[in-house]
Amino acid sequence: MNIIGPDSLVFGVDDIEACTQYLTDYGLESVGEGRFEALDGTSVVIRSKDDASLPPPLETATQLRKTVYGVADQKVLDDIEAELSKDREVKRLSDGSLESVDDMGFTLGFQVSVRKSLSMAAEAVNAPGAPKQRDVNVIGAEPDADPRPRTLSHVVYFVPDHAKAEAFYADRLGFVTTDRFTGVGPFMRPAGTEDHHTLFMIQTPPHMKGCEHFTFHMGGPTEVMQAGTRMVNKGYQSFWGPGRHIFGSNWFWYFKSPLGCNMEYDADMDLHDESWKAREAEIGADTSQVFLFQHREKWAPTGPPPPNKA
Amino acid sequence: MGLMFLCYLDDLSDREARGFDPWQEGRDSVFVVRKGDSVYGYFDSCPHLEGMPLPWRKDAYLDAAGQEIVCAAHGARFNIVSGACFIGPCKGQSLTPVPLTFSEDGRILARLEELTITPGRAD
Repeated sequence: MNIIGPDSLVFGVDDIEACTQYLTDYGLESVGEGRFEALDGTSVVIRSKDDASLPPPLETATQLRKTVYGVADQKVLDDIEAELSKDREVKRLSDGSLESVDDMGFTLGFQVSVRKSLSMAAEAVNAPGAPKQRDVNVIGAEPDADPRPRTLSHVVYFVPDHAKAEAFYADRLGFVTTDRFTGVGPFMRPAGTEDHHTLFMIQTPPHMKGCEHFTFHMGGPTEVMQAGTRMVNKGYQSFWGPGRHIFGSNWFWYFKSPLGCNMEYDADMDLHDESWKAREAEIGADTSQVFLFQHREKWAPTGPPPPNKA
Repeated sequence: MGLMFLCYLDDLSDREARGFDPWQEGRDSVFVVRKGDSVYGYFDSCPHLEGMPLPWRKDAYLDAAGQEIVCAAHGARFNIVSGACFIGPCKGQSLTPVPLTFSEDGRILARLEELTITPGRAD
C-alpha cells in the first residue's frame, strides 16, 4: 500500500493558547482552525480536549487524538478501506478521508496526501578531499537565519504490546521494519517513503499508552541547532539533545511541550529500500545516540511484555 | 543555615506555581504551588524519569485551569496537595515533597536541613 507518511497529527489539548504560542514559536505557520503547517502542508492540529468533533481520547493522559496518514491516490484509500473493513469499522468522512483504529486503539485517518513537493537545498557541507558542496564566497553560518520545519517526519507511540502493534502495521498497512530495539519495539516506514521511520513504537505498561514525541524534518543539522537555540532563547525547556541518533542517523533535539508529549526537530535521516536488513539492539543511551551535548542516560520508560502473550 | 527563602506568599496568586534554584545550579530544582492560602513544595523531578524537570517553560507547572500539576515530557498529572500522580506514565507514584515553613511576615522558606535526598540529576 502506497502510504507516504503522516500528513497530520490531531491533538485535543488542555491549553489552546499555550499550544498556539508554542507551535508558532516552534516554526509552524498558523493557517486557522487550529492547524499549524510545515512548509509542505503537513501539520499539527489542535482543538480543545472537549471538542465533540474529535475522536474519543485514549484512557491515558495522552492528548493525541488522531494520526492522519497521507496516501498516494484514491486507489490506495480504497485498498485500505477494503483491508481494514475485514475486521473493524472504517468510516468515510465528509472530506473523503477514512477513519479507523489500529490494534492498540489509536485512531487513524487516511487521506490523499496534502503534501506539496518542495524544491529547496539541503545544508551544504565542504570537507577536505570531497567535491565542493558550498561554493566559494558562500557563507555557511547565518546568525539571523529563521529555519522552518519542512515536513512532518515521524510519530512515536507508547504501546502495551509491541509485537501485536508491529504486526498490524506490517500485515495490514504494508509498513516495513527498518530496525528494532529488542523487546521494546520497531522503527517502521510505510511503502511510500524511503525515510528510516515514520513510526516508532516503545512498549510500556498500558497506563502509559499514547504519544511519546513527534517531529518535523529540518534542512540539516545546522537548522536543528539553530531552531533549537531559538526555542531555548524563547524560554522553552529542552528534554534531550541536541545529538545524533544511531538508528536512523537523524540529528535530534527534543523539547517538552504543552501538548503533553515531547516535540522534536530532526534532520538528515537515513533512507532505505527493500534491500535493507533490519538491525536489532538493546535500547539504552549507548544505542540511541552517537553523541550528545546534554547527557541523558534514560530517555524513555519501557516495560515488560504483557502477561499471557500469544 | 537550614532555611532557604523562596518568595513571599503574596508573590503568588491562587493556583500559581513558581520554580526556584536554591542550590544555584543554573536551573530550577524545586517548585511551589499556591492553592488558596496553602502552599505546597516539591522537587522539580518527574518520578517516571528521575531528574527530568516538569515544565515546558519556566514556571509552567500547572494545567490551564490551575487544577493539577502536569509534567510536559509525557503528560503525567499530579494532585497539587498530595503530589500523587493519578494519570500518566508514573501513575501511583508521587512527587517528592520539599518541606516548607512560613514566617510571620509571609515568607515561604524551604526546610533544607530536613532533606534526606538531593534532587535526582540527569546531567
